[in-house]
Amino acid sequence: MKAFRGLDSISVAGGLGALAFLGFLPTLFPGKYLIGVLTVAAIYGIWSVSWDFMSGLTGRENFGHSLFIGVGAYTAGFLNVQFGWGPWWSLPASMVVAAFFGLILGFPTLRLRGPYFALAMLSAAVIMQRLMLIFWEFTGGEEGIQDITPLIKDPLHYYWFVLALLGAITWFLAWMARSRWGLILRAIRGDEATCLAAGLPITTYKIASLIISAAFAGLGGALYAHYQLQVSPQLFAVVTSITIITMVYVGGMGTIFGPVGGALLLTLMTEGLRNFGEWRLMVYSLLLIFILFFLPNGIVAPTWNKIRNLFSQERP
Amino acid sequence: MEILIYGAVTSAIYALLAVGFTLIFGVARILNLAHGSFYALGAYGTYVLTSIVGLPLWSAALIAIAFVAVFGVVVEKVLIRPLRHSQLGVLMISLAVALVVEQTLFLVFGSEYRNVPSFVDTKINLGGVDVAGQRLLTLAVASVAIGALYMFIQFTRLGSAILAISQDPEAAKYMGIPSDKIFSLVMAISAALAALAGVMAGPFLSVQPSMHLLPIVKAFAIVVVGGLGSIPGSIAAAFLLGYAETCVAYLISSSWTEIVSVLATLLMLVFRPAGIFGKRAAF
Amino acid sequence: MTHALLEVKHLDKHFGGLHVLKDINITVQEGEIVGILGPNGAGKTTLFNLLTGFIPADEGQVLLRGKSLREMRSNDIVGLGVARTFQLCRPFVGLTVLENVLVGSLGPRVKTDDIGARAMHLLDQVGLVGKAHTASELLSYGDLRRLEIARALATDPELLLLDEPFAGLGSSEIEALSELIRKLHREQKLTIMLIEHKLREFMQLVSRVVAIDFGEVIAEGVPADIVNNPRVIEAYIGRQNPLEQTQHA
Repeated sequence: MKAFRGLDSISVAGGLGALAFLGFLPTLFPGKYLIGVLTVAAIYGIWSVSWDFMSGLTGRENFGHSLFIGVGAYTAGFLNVQFGWGPWWSLPASMVVAAFFGLILGFPTLRLRGPYFALAMLSAAVIMQRLMLIFWEFTGGEEGIQDITPLIKDPLHYYWFVLALLGAITWFLAWMARSRWGLILRAIRGDEATCLAAGLPITTYKIASLIISAAFAGLGGALYAHYQLQVSPQLFAVVTSITIITMVYVGGMGTIFGPVGGALLLTLMTEGLRNFGEWRLMVYSLLLIFILFFLPNGIVAPTWNKIRNLFSQERP
Repeated sequence: MEILIYGAVTSAIYALLAVGFTLIFGVARILNLAHGSFYALGAYGTYVLTSIVGLPLWSAALIAIAFVAVFGVVVEKVLIRPLRHSQLGVLMISLAVALVVEQTLFLVFGSEYRNVPSFVDTKINLGGVDVAGQRLLTLAVASVAIGALYMFIQFTRLGSAILAISQDPEAAKYMGIPSDKIFSLVMAISAALAALAGVMAGPFLSVQPSMHLLPIVKAFAIVVVGGLGSIPGSIAAAFLLGYAETCVAYLISSSWTEIVSVLATLLMLVFRPAGIFGKRAAF
Repeated sequence: MTHALLEVKHLDKHFGGLHVLKDINITVQEGEIVGILGPNGAGKTTLFNLLTGFIPADEGQVLLRGKSLREMRSNDIVGLGVARTFQLCRPFVGLTVLENVLVGSLGPRVKTDDIGARAMHLLDQVGLVGKAHTASELLSYGDLRRLEIARALATDPELLLLDEPFAGLGSSEIEALSELIRKLHREQKLTIMLIEHKLREFMQLVSRVVAIDFGEVIAEGVPADIVNNPRVIEAYIGRQNPLEQTQHA
């Protein structure tokens, strides 16, 4: 009897279908604008998925995810501009640096209970933002680092590249979530002392999952840097972390694929609200309140589950 | 000497913020990220009532504080209490409230700095240092307010009820203490203290829509250092932090000041999560 | 010299000013079922917490087959073959019954590849196999206890520590659970330590009793002797006397 479900074929099919659809969209509606929006949406998808893997499964909400994003982005900026390395080095480098931060931050903070972990990470992100400003001679201060070279010049091809990465990362993390890793992380959410009583080294698992989460967030940060072609301290802002958390809530905490949908939905919604300009953040916050009260399981994941059940009922 | 006085003023403001924050946590286990918004609304309320409505400063201030207290109670009852089963849900929603308040202030008032009038305009010379009268008044008012709160908690029945709930909410309920009403009361006090800080400090600290962020970071830092749920701890830590920041500002540079509090939080959480006086650890 | 399975020597613990455990000495041989008896507040659960590494001891030794368990982390102690249940059942919220047991199967002692089948087998032994895919929060109290035991067994222990397994159960459930414990003891060759203060079921289940009061061992021996031990009786006077339960219940 298989202990772990693994990824069922319907989900994989659905995921591939969605990816294909997203890949085709720009050919249906050509224009740089849509490609740009979708690229950003895909990157937010990577950030959301990475957050969900750690925080969604363990229930330890990380309010400082923007730190890993910023660190990855700045790594890309430094290597590319300050050291003149080719842009492709940014990808592995950003993952390593972000993972390193995950490690050194994880050790002291993961033994703290939920809200304190959240706020400790928030504080860490705030510190990093201030540090970027204080050491402006190295980091470029408010303006950050400019003139980063793009990874792939053609926007459409870059979009497909990012989309492919999103697909690969989501698949990998979803697979992990349905393996014994995911079971242990969910058990940690249930009761840490009991996990210890079951013989599991929970600290190791918590830190490892944070490192994985950080690495992918950093990767997303580097991808963003090579898209925007500049990095600034704004990347470390609380708003980024909260936006990602909202996306995950909308998508469905702990489902891994749900947050991708949440990221897409919200990015598109933000673009659609562009006319409202300054009202955007307000709408976000109100949306968050609404979801916390009425839809704690999100929108994307429950909807997909209903669709999926329709399909599996039709099978003999 | 300057450090002594300015440090005291800063500490007083921080104490007002931290005591309210730790009070609502100690009693209701709520980490209220909208606490900074109370501070902001106190300042903005006074501004509105004096410049737009044209009320005299004293009444404007009192009305603003009262309004914020009521606002705090409403937020707690309507938005926070239903989510009390989830500490993180409470965090999220209080943060959402803070963001909504910030956005509203931004949309209504724009991002320019606003002027909250001072109670006392003159400068006073204290030990060879010229200090704005308003700052000294802030110090005085903060001391009185906290002193009054302390006496209220120690010497009245209601105060004992608050202490009881903060130690054991279930048991307190069985003794017939109406915890819901007490939560509202404590929230009102907490919000009022924060608003008072906003009113008093508004004249000499910046008043703009995002002014709620730093107080929250500082209040959280102070409460962690002093011990969550401990009022004496918060006061002591407020002084520690206030003076540390003032020293850093004078001796190194003012851009490092926020780092002090954030660093202090992190270090404290890592090495002594219970804080200096705390009984309840963060883990 | 062959070691006893578990040796507790001069174990001592303070909580602030409170001296919770005083110079505790207990030896458990392989294959025994030992009962720890004592009124509430005697320090029984604290003892378990010390043995399993959840709380550090102030002084004394805990030896598992001669190997010291002090300073070890609790999950490593489980890896050596000591498993425990909790007084207040703690299922993994959000996981099904089967998943609860699977988590227990992920420790270092479990060598089989098919942990799924093994988990189902364990559930079958405790009588929960029909509820394998139920959410663990929905179980009745009696079933939760069985789940606790299944999950502890999943770690493949040599020594099983049961903390008040009969608390909150009705008499028929106690009978059934008792029978289950006896069966597991026979079939799995487990050594069991059991905390209880309901003496009746206790007496029929355990081969030896260690009585504790106010953190000290006050008596040790077979159940029949303990029941008549004056110090034990004295410890229970004024509290609900479990010896009289059978007569006045």
